[in-house]
Amino acid sequence: MVPLYILIVSCFKSTGAIYANSLGLPSSWTFDNFVQAWERGRFSLYLLNSLLVTGSAVVLTILAAAMAAYPLSRYRLWWGLPLLGFFLAGIMIPVRLGSVELFNLMKSLSLLDSRPGLVLVYAAIRIPFAVFIFANFMRAVPQDLEHAARIDGAREWRILFQIILPQIRPAVGVVAIFTAIAVWNDFFFPLIFIFDDDLKTVPLGVTTFIGQYRTDWGLLFAALTISMAPFLLLYPFVARRLREGVGAGGGIR
Amino acid sequence: MRLGRSWRVHGAAAMFVAPALLLYALFIVYPLARSLWGSLFQWRGLRQLGFIGLYNFFRLFAEPSLTRVAGALLHNAAWFAGIMLLQNALGLVLAYLLFLRNRGSQLLQSVFFLPAILSPVIVGALWRLLLAPDGPLDAAVRALGLTDAPLTVLGDSGWALWVLIAVDAWNWMGLPVLVFLAGFQAIPSEVFEAARLEGANAARILRSVALPLLLPAVSSLTTLTFINSFNQFDLVYVMEGVQGNPSYSTDTLVTYFYRLAFGAEGSAGITDIGLALALGSGLFLLLSVSTVAILRYFDRKAAAL
Repeated sequence: MVPLYILIVSCFKSTGAIYANSLGLPSSWTFDNFVQAWERGRFSLYLLNSLLVTGSAVVLTILAAAMAAYPLSRYRLWWGLPLLGFFLAGIMIPVRLGSVELFNLMKSLSLLDSRPGLVLVYAAIRIPFAVFIFANFMRAVPQDLEHAARIDGAREWRILFQIILPQIRPAVGVVAIFTAIAVWNDFFFPLIFIFDDDLKTVPLGVTTFIGQYRTDWGLLFAALTISMAPFLLLYPFVARRLREGVGAGGGIR
Repeated sequence: MRLGRSWRVHGAAAMFVAPALLLYALFIVYPLARSLWGSLFQWRGLRQLGFIGLYNFFRLFAEPSLTRVAGALLHNAAWFAGIMLLQNALGLVLAYLLFLRNRGSQLLQSVFFLPAILSPVIVGALWRLLLAPDGPLDAAVRALGLTDAPLTVLGDSGWALWVLIAVDAWNWMGLPVLVFLAGFQAIPSEVFEAARLEGANAARILRSVALPLLLPAVSSLTTLTFINSFNQFDLVYVMEGVQGNPSYSTDTLVTYFYRLAFGAEGSAGITDIGLALALGSGLFLLLSVSTVAILRYFDRKAAAL
């Protein structure tokens, strides 16, 4: 916790004060660093990009994975189990090692240097884990409601979205949180796929900023705080779900 | 259910599976498969030329590349060992203490886990500032009178790798704590009761009673640690640069891969796709085989109990 304490107090000190008294509380509190960082960096842009990419990737992952997990866990199909295994293998795949050919693929699909390109890649990376979680939870949902709905003539997509998904809300929460954290924090794919400064996400933008203001410590600490603020503020609300999700054996990365 | 037999059901199921399967196959499986296959070809820039068999692999394990591969492999192995000790073993002890204490532990768990929601890039940048000469930790070390010399661990090739490993352990400490704690709580309390009645102390109970029952948790953490240790990139990039400074002492297989694939290796900064794909394929095989081996090892151990 000490590093985070130093981070927070340093934001409110001038660079000179950080050198002179790096551990204590600031003698005079100043918001100057935040104002400066916000004005000189392009954090509103980076935050917006991260928000758009993360939000879209989470929605796409949940939709695609829930749709796939539904027949794989609840229909009796001879190809269900092999296909589920094919998805599960993806949980452990080190995706970065295919990045050269992924780069070529993105180039030929004109998806380089674009936010939708990132969204598709992230959803693809996160789908195996999401399918795994959804399939496990869906298998435990009793069949009665589903049968009743089918007799009433409900279509399959309505059964999935109006009957099954509401019953596995904890799983949707776990998948949403874990996907959001993984996508928001990723650095590798923006690094290789994004060149336009207007499209940079927070982790990439903050490294650019650090490169520019190497010595202005107050500014750098403020920039780091701005970058982690969204999840620090959300943390108290998701901490319980995270504890349960991790305790249950899910990995994050 | 009689549904399973009709073509209509197969069709509906296929339609439901299609989007996820398409995304996964197109953006994950296909590039990886092509990368494995492409490692057997000659490359000029991003253009694939003729089939050359294992020649790329031969070049990978011949000088000048051999020094880089061997160094990086050593660093990744040290990373794995360091994380097992600093993060997982320490995490086991912390989880046990939290379990014994039993009160207010939910808040502490959340506190331990907090750094894990932060991007490794942010964590790395933060620690680079903290550890800089004349930085906050330097000031603290001097105030305690431990040393007068400026703190230069990040620029010291003997220390830098271990500092990075420690930062990674700090980042992810909450993970083993949460996983092990859930494991402890799943053990029936009569088991601990019985051990205590037989006069075993807390350390003894942890080693001889609890640990064997925690094997599934140990197994999955070991696997995860192995994969993550051999995929290290972000921390090194942010704290020491993509060359793994100072003088390649923090270079990892993925930073080397990145330099080969995206052009920062050698004085001219030219890409060498053939080498990159060979390295990627080699690493992929290493990870797959090792992961299966680790899981098998723990399965057999669990079965022997």
